[in-house]
Formats: sequence, C-alpha cells, structure tokens
Amino acid sequence: MKHIALVTLIAATAIALPLFIGENPYIIGILISVLMMAALSSAWNILGGYAGQYSFGHAAYFGAGAYTTLIMLTLFNTLNPVICILVGIVVASLIALMTGSIVFRLRGHYFGLASIAVAEIVRLSVLNFECTGGAQGILLTDISLWGLDLNSKNPFYYGMLLVLAVTLAITAYLRRSKTGYYLQAIREDQDAAASLGINLSFYKNKALLISAALTSVLGSLYGLYIRFIDTSAVLDLRLSIEIILTAIIGGVGTLWGPVVGAILLVPLAEILRSNLLGEALVKAGLVSETSGIGIFLKENLAHAHVLVYGIITVLCILYLPKGILGLYRRKQ
Amino acid sequence: MIQHLLHISHVSKHFGGNVAVSDVSFSVNEKQIFGLIGPNGAGKTTLFNCITGFFPATAGDVIFDNKKINALRPDQVCKLGMVRTWQRVKPLENLTVLENVMVGAFSITNSTGEAEANAMEQLQKVGLTDYVKKSAGSLPIGLKKKLELARVLATHPKMLLLDEICGGLNHTETDLLLDIIRGIRMKGATIVFIEHDMKAVTSICDRIVVLNSGEKLAEGTPEEITSNPDVIAAYLGGGHHA
Repeated sequence: MKHIALVTLIAATAIALPLFIGENPYIIGILISVLMMAALSSAWNILGGYAGQYSFGHAAYFGAGAYTTLIMLTLFNTLNPVICILVGIVVASLIALMTGSIVFRLRGHYFGLASIAVAEIVRLSVLNFECTGGAQGILLTDISLWGLDLNSKNPFYYGMLLVLAVTLAITAYLRRSKTGYYLQAIREDQDAAASLGINLSFYKNKALLISAALTSVLGSLYGLYIRFIDTSAVLDLRLSIEIILTAIIGGVGTLWGPVVGAILLVPLAEILRSNLLGEALVKAGLVSETSGIGIFLKENLAHAHVLVYGIITVLCILYLPKGILGLYRRKQ
Repeated sequence: MIQHLLHISHVSKHFGGNVAVSDVSFSVNEKQIFGLIGPNGAGKTTLFNCITGFFPATAGDVIFDNKKINALRPDQVCKLGMVRTWQRVKPLENLTVLENVMVGAFSITNSTGEAEANAMEQLQKVGLTDYVKKSAGSLPIGLKKKLELARVLATHPKMLLLDEICGGLNHTETDLLLDIIRGIRMKGATIVFIEHDMKAVTSICDRIVVLNSGEKLAEGTPEEITSNPDVIAAYLGGGHHA
C-alpha cells in the first residue's frame, strides 16, 4: 500500500509540474530531457539490467525511430505522426532482430561488441544515404497532430512522461512474470537457465525487441520535438553510453534506478554545460570574474560535463556497485 | 520387453585429440536409480553434458523416451522431461531461494501463482522452507545442493540426472538427501546418479555402470560391482591385478 501511495504521489507531481512552471521553456526543456533519459535508460534496463545483456548501441534504435518518423513526414507531410512512430518501431525491431538472431546464439561479450558495430553501421549508412540528408540531417518545418499546439513544449513533456510510465509499467509487470524471471535467470547463470528449460536466445531476443521498440518510440518523439536531427544528435555512440551510465549510476536491474539516475545526471550535465556553476561562484563573490580562476572556469567548465560523468561513474563503481538504489536496498 | 527410458548407444566424445568418453553404451529402465561411478576424470560429467545437450556427442546416439535427442538444446531436453543438477552448484545468486525454484517451475506453467505454489511444495520436500526469502548466494553449500534438487524437481521431470549431489556434504546431510531421492523415485521418477562415494551409491542404486578413462569398465548390481576385481583395481589404483 505504501508503494502504491508513493507511486501515485510521484505520478501526480509529474503530471502537475508544468502547471506550476508555467511557460518557462528552458525549465520544461530540461524536464523533457530528464523524462526522455529516464525512459531510455529504463528501456535499456530491461535488456541490460534484467537479462544482463549489455547493449552499447541503443542509439541505433533511437535513431531508427527519429529518422523513420522525420523522413516519412518530409515525404508526406499530411501523415499522422502516430503512423510514423509505429513504422519506426518496425524499423528498429528489424535492426534488433538482425543483431540478436545472429549474436545471441553466442555467449560472452559478443552481443556488446556486435551492438556497437551495428550502431556504427547504421550511423555510417545514414550519413551516406541521400534520403536521410547525409551529414546535413533533416529539418522538419511543420507538423500537426489532433489539433495540439506542437510549438509549445507541453505536449512533448506529457508524451515523454507517458512513454516513461509505459516503460516502467512494462518493467514492473515483467519482473513478476515468467519472462522477467527467465531474463534474470539468464543474467545470473546461462548454463543453469538452459538446464531448467529456458530457450536462451528466444528470451534474449524478446528482451531486446521490447527494449528496442520502446527506444524507437522515444527517438520518434524526440525527432518531432526537436524537428531537426542529424547523426551526431540521434545516432552517436555518446548517446548509447549516456543511457548505460544513467542506469549504472541509478541502479542496474532495479525498477526506479534509471529514473533516479536521470533525475540526478541530466540536470547536472545542464548545470555544467550552461556554466551555471561558474556564474553562481562569481555571484556569491567566491571567485572574481576577471581573475585567472574565473576565466578558467568560464572557458572550461562548460566542457567538463563528460569528465564529471566519468568521475561519478568511477566513484559509483568503486563505492556503489549496485547504484544509488542499491544503497537504499542494502539499508532495508 | 522392458521399457528403457534412457538408452545410451555407443556414445563417444572427443575434445580435439582427447577422448573424454569412448564408445559407452547402457540403458536405464523406468523408476530405476541408476549409478554412474568412476575415478576422477573418468568422463562421468562429460557424459551428462552429452546426454543433456550441453555439448553434442562426437559419435553414438542418445535415446530418451523413444526419441533421439542427440541434436537437441538443453532447454529442449528439459522440456522432454529430463533435467540435471550441477556438480559445481549453480544457484541464481541474486534471486531468492523461492525465485530460484520458481524458475524451474515456469517450465511447466506460465502463471506466477502456480509457479510459486509448485516451488513452495518442492522447498517443503527438501526442507528449505525457512529460507524462501534468503538470496540463493548466501546459502551454505549443503543448502545450495538441496536448492539444486528442489529447482529440478519443480520441472516435474521423468528423469533426473544428479551430478554429485552429495559431494561436500557430511554423513547426516548425505543420508537426508538420499532419503529425499528415494522418495522421488517412489513418486515415479527415474534417477541417474553420479557419485564418488561408493557407500552412498551402493546403498541406493539398483544398477551401476563404472566408467574409467572414458570407457565402460563394468555394469551390474551393487553386489556385482563391489566384488568386481577390475573395479577394485580402478578404485584402489595399481591396475596390475593378478
């Protein structure tokens, strides 16, 4: 009962949040990023956290959704975006099956390696095809859906929130189902799992498909939201890594770990990127804007968010190997 | 004609130039407790791996329940009703004891409730009900062996292959486990039993095959085996029997 109350409270807060913020597009933008990373990391977690199959190429599925949706809307601009999202799922699933059906026959780190290779193949293909706009990317000028004001950010806030809720619901259901137990058995010991009647490659592929489909929906939403995509925005290895780090820092193989990771890391990256920290230090009078340290901070702190991610990850692996939620679990 | 549940016919397994199992044949009847013994490196576990699909035999056939199962995967073999335990136990460490057994139970049901009920029944049988919520990795070895047994029982197998299920246990624990195994046979399952401990084997088995250096050395009742000079030589070493 305590859990249900807590989840209801979190959901109500998330739904009501835009009303309090009003029309501050900057804050809403950050919140959308938090929801998206939480959902991406949760989708990855089904495969990586529960089945123990680490994908380093989830950007491929994200990019598949984003590109499919934007290419279709460029070609037929009266199309309902929902249809494009569904086609995006099909494309992402095909890429997933291509990888999984071959590599999941093998044990060990082959899937991790192959996932990077496939993601790079997708990225380079997109970069060199004509219909994808190559290095220039795709710009979408106008979209419409059910009369919503898509120039406002609020519909996308609720869109991302909905996908996050669906992803968490699927994860929560899986955890208590045959498939969920089978995935965890595969993570724990593949020989034991096989000897107990678990078809290893079937269940790994099932987890991959669920994960890829959800990731693709998020890619489509992102494409509709930003309306400009290129390979460095939606198909980059960096995105795949950020998805994994969010899950690891929050807690791999836990329901809420990826959400906690995203709530922590996305705003942190934003603070560093926008140099809010440097400005705050200047305002507080701790550092003079014209002093050597002030100039150094202004010039370098904006680039430091990747470094900070790295440091946090190392600290997490050393002191919180089960993530932030792992700490909470241990205390229980 | 007697019903053979498992028939091993001229099975060999080579790893490169190494011959781990060489031309071994025997049959296991329904409801038998069948012992597979032999010194270290005799090929017992390798033979188990060939039978259960973990690696295919280089030559020969494995017939289970009138079906040739040489080329089947381990999960398919399990679905046919033959399941094995591991000499080096393989608990799903981060799952609870109950969840471990539920994973076995899911091979015959899709319902979480049914799997849980089945798992509880098996845990009761092996005496692990006090540990259901404990993580499997935290159990001592004796209890991990019991967990292995409960987990395979939850698949409701026709045949169990037990790989040194008593290894590392003291006398009391061994006797307890042997009693459980006798109980399982009473319910109609057939058991093939790898064991080092001759005393345990001779006290429980109806029939025994002795492997030595990958080859079948002898087959017979426990009395025949314990009085066989070749077997005594293989176990006591030397090999220069007069």
